[in-house]
Amino acid sequence: MSTGHEPPGDARPVLELDRLSLSFGGLRALSELDLQVSEREVVSVIGPNGAGKTTVFNVITGVYEPSAGDVRFGAHPGPAQSIAGQSPHVIARLGIARTFQTLRLFMNMSVLENVMAATYGGTRAMPWESVLRLPRARREEREARALAEEVLSFFGQRLAGYRWDQPAYSLSYANRRRLEIARALATRPRLLLLDEPAAGMNPAETHEVTELIGQIRDERGVAILVIEHDMHVVAGCSDRVVALDHGIKIAEGGFDQVANHPAVVEAYMGRHPEDLAGAE
Amino acid sequence: MSFFFQELVNGLTTGALYSLVALGFSMVYGVLKLLNFAHGDLYMVGAYIGFFVIQWFGGAQHLTIAVPLLLLIMFVLAAVLVGGLGVAIERFAYRPLRDAPRIAPLITAIGVSFFLESSALLLFGAQYRVYNTAEFISLSSGIQIGSVTIDSVQILVLVLGVVLMAGLQLLVNRTRLGRQMRAVAVDREAAEMLGINVNFVITATFFLGSALAGVAGIMGGLLFNQVTATIGFIAGLKAFTAAVVGGIGSIPGAMLGGLFIGVAESFVTGYISSTYSNLIVFGILIVVMLLRPTGLLGRAQLQKV
Amino acid sequence: MSIDPQGPKVGADEWVARQAHRREYLPSWLGRAQQAGERIGWWPRLAIAGLAGLALPLLGLGGFQLQVGIDALVIALLAVGLNIVVGWAGLLDLGYVAFFGFGAYGYALLSSSQLGANGIHLPYWLSLPIVMIGAAILGLAVGLPSRRLLGDYLAIVTLFLGEAFVEFTNNVAPSKLGGPNGITSIDPIHAFGVSLNTNESYFYLLVIVLVVTMAVLRLLEYSRTGRAWRAVREDPLAAAAMTIPVNRVKLSAFACGAMVAALAGTIFAAQQASVFPTDFDTPILILIYAGLILGGIGSIAGAATGALVVMVIYDGLLRSPAEASILFYGLGLLTLLVKLRPWRRLALVLGATIALGFAAYAIANAISPSVVAGGPQTAGVLGDGLRDWIIVPGNPQTAQTAGNIGFVVLICLAVALVQVKGRWRTILLVPTIYLAAFVWETRLVNEPSITRQLMIGAILIVMMIARPQGLLGQRRVEVAT
Repeated sequence: MSTGHEPPGDARPVLELDRLSLSFGGLRALSELDLQVSEREVVSVIGPNGAGKTTVFNVITGVYEPSAGDVRFGAHPGPAQSIAGQSPHVIARLGIARTFQTLRLFMNMSVLENVMAATYGGTRAMPWESVLRLPRARREEREARALAEEVLSFFGQRLAGYRWDQPAYSLSYANRRRLEIARALATRPRLLLLDEPAAGMNPAETHEVTELIGQIRDERGVAILVIEHDMHVVAGCSDRVVALDHGIKIAEGGFDQVANHPAVVEAYMGRHPEDLAGAE
Repeated sequence: MSFFFQELVNGLTTGALYSLVALGFSMVYGVLKLLNFAHGDLYMVGAYIGFFVIQWFGGAQHLTIAVPLLLLIMFVLAAVLVGGLGVAIERFAYRPLRDAPRIAPLITAIGVSFFLESSALLLFGAQYRVYNTAEFISLSSGIQIGSVTIDSVQILVLVLGVVLMAGLQLLVNRTRLGRQMRAVAVDREAAEMLGINVNFVITATFFLGSALAGVAGIMGGLLFNQVTATIGFIAGLKAFTAAVVGGIGSIPGAMLGGLFIGVAESFVTGYISSTYSNLIVFGILIVVMLLRPTGLLGRAQLQKV
Repeated sequence: MSIDPQGPKVGADEWVARQAHRREYLPSWLGRAQQAGERIGWWPRLAIAGLAGLALPLLGLGGFQLQVGIDALVIALLAVGLNIVVGWAGLLDLGYVAFFGFGAYGYALLSSSQLGANGIHLPYWLSLPIVMIGAAILGLAVGLPSRRLLGDYLAIVTLFLGEAFVEFTNNVAPSKLGGPNGITSIDPIHAFGVSLNTNESYFYLLVIVLVVTMAVLRLLEYSRTGRAWRAVREDPLAAAAMTIPVNRVKLSAFACGAMVAALAGTIFAAQQASVFPTDFDTPILILIYAGLILGGIGSIAGAATGALVVMVIYDGLLRSPAEASILFYGLGLLTLLVKLRPWRRLALVLGATIALGFAAYAIANAISPSVVAGGPQTAGVLGDGLRDWIIVPGNPQTAQTAGNIGFVVLICLAVALVQVKGRWRTILLVPTIYLAAFVWETRLVNEPSITRQLMIGAILIVMMIARPQGLLGQRRVEVAT
């Protein structure tokens, strides 16, 4: 069931993938992919493993450079600019943040430090300023800490208080995933890419994540692109769903529309045995 | 012009030596992703073993057995003993760190290298030990092509080097063990899950690589005559250069790299000056690393994000 | 105990979470000392250590000991600088000693009679900034390859750059750089009307410089720069995704480390009044690393402490055999005290070793007195105690051979010790300790320079296997990528 939340019809897209293609040698990872995400919109990307979903994230965030096509990002209210080929930290500073499928936290740093590390791009104090405790450095440190605490409080008691000074490796799996999202939010993004945020979670935690995604969109005004396998999450939080297979978009629309689309069913389940027998 | 060829021959000979050491080094890196800094010191141990074998049989001037037999014993003993030493080092210093971050076994390897060198100093003393090859292998017996002389020691080194390298290539590409070694080099966990006894493969790799280094040590002793505790360090450096220039983890690369370094060194010493030879070899390495970090024959490693 | 469906019990969970790091302390009473120290706070501890350091010459530290102290402080400064590159940014720099050499040679060229007709004799407050900026630039240059090189490759390249430095200063432009004979008659430090001419003054200077550097680095550690360094070590890809310019951050680590090393180099050159290429060769690098590993990678205090401990032992072993013996037996006993718990086990092992020694000596003496004719190298109480305990052959030749064989057997025993557990380990410990003392008395005590190298190698091996985080470091969790 779709959330019934309508994206603003005339909003310019925050993210636009224009005939995006990526090949690794002979392997076509992405072919002519068109995708748009508007402001305050949650778009889910689904597809079987190997469909190229994480590859899309990697191209958007600058880990890979597209072989053809363009990636455009509307950083400010202003013309969208092409970000294809830029380095990851530049793209992050422009306002795109992400989480990782395999969890990439700074394990030996504390929870608070993980989040504060992400404020690097938003601060400018030079090393000597930090050492001499000059006003700008002190102010930025205060603000970074305040931002980190605020972002962490988004998760209620789970990442609160004494947890701030605990090393990240001491957190439970679900808390690690939450921390990664908090860290991404600390970069003050306009677009948030969540790569399988509910992976490995039990039903209660999954439900929490679904609500969380909606909360982030509503309270922080962030556009969100979500890769997910768990259809409860996809159904519960998406404004729009895009299905990929073998690097090609095979369906797009509301959840019910896409979930029942024949191409999507075939991608996940294979062709119906009767059809296969008939084809011979 | 004959000078050129003479230097070429000399370079190829020392290059063969470097190749053998680089091979062992590259093999171990391929299988364990470990830069074994102690590898050069295995070369040194091999050289000492050769010296003591000569002494055991009466010393260079009064050999009690025939020279071919002496050589055979020297090479076999060095291969076995140094191979065993390498296995022991792997077992006790590197195996506990197999899953540790890369910096840990690297530091340990530096420690092992230092420890081996100091142990050799303690046990054998600091004085140079001399093979006196000329006493039992006549330098004038060799072959002459035009005005280029290849003396018998050089022939021995070249032939044995080629034989060993060919043998290793055969082993890696045509035997089951070689296949297993290649599998472990690509993905250790997957290899284990496919039923390969990873510990045995790694032990075998270390044995082979160390044995090669030991044999190279004998060759070095025969060629260069002098043995002391610190020759391992320089040999190790040259071996790294060779392995890395050729493409670390690649066996043909190590062979190519060794020959390349040997020839380059020879030419620099011959045409420019010996003081700069080390510097230029280092320079080659740095240039290659900057332009083509994976080496001449190496393959870039893809990382899955 | 039923599971509370309401969510985390913050009070109880907090206590549990705080106990997690209790296991990280050093064993037995050392750990208790550590905990007490932690309650004091980092800055007070630094102040106390600094004051203690300054007080040492006043308490009578002089002569040879003062030189040992100066060397130790230089290495400590280097270790603290290396910690930035290796411990925080995670870049394996095996050529670090080249920056040290650059600083030393730079100062030597700028503040001596080496260059030009009468030489440039820049005062310290001029030559130091020039050298440090030069080192920073060199650090950036060395760091440039790190963009494209993964850890192992970077280690190789930096190692070779370090070697290249030694070759360079040894062979290139001998008239300017002095070749193998180095540069001599370097000016002492002149600055602001003060001239440092005595070893005491350099000692004080080094203590102050070390304390100030540690303070500066501590402030950096918890600033945005320090967080960026550590994030880059943890996961460069994730760091980049979180707005951190990874390459720039790596370069800044190289530059900062280089500047600290150059600073140490200038003071070293001024105090020694001469520099030689061999002062900056690989053995010094290994010393710095040994100190850093022993003390704890990633920890400023660890780096300094480890380096000081390593250097004091390293130089201490060079003293007369009697004093070196005290150091040896003292350290050995200390290790046993710390590692062997509970008390009963320690007493058992010590008792058995002593008994074994006396028995062995008595038997050997009965068989052939010449076998035990040699004596231990110590005098005084220790010497008297050891005389009837340790077997030392009278004939030096026999002693040497026996010692050599004993050395090899000792290595095998040590390795075997690691393999066995429990009761067998306790049993095997007894002959091992006796054999260690035997090898010491017959061989090691007579070859101090080799012994200390053996010790350094052993430190590196043992620390990485037994306690990779060092004495004062934090245990790290690495996720395999």
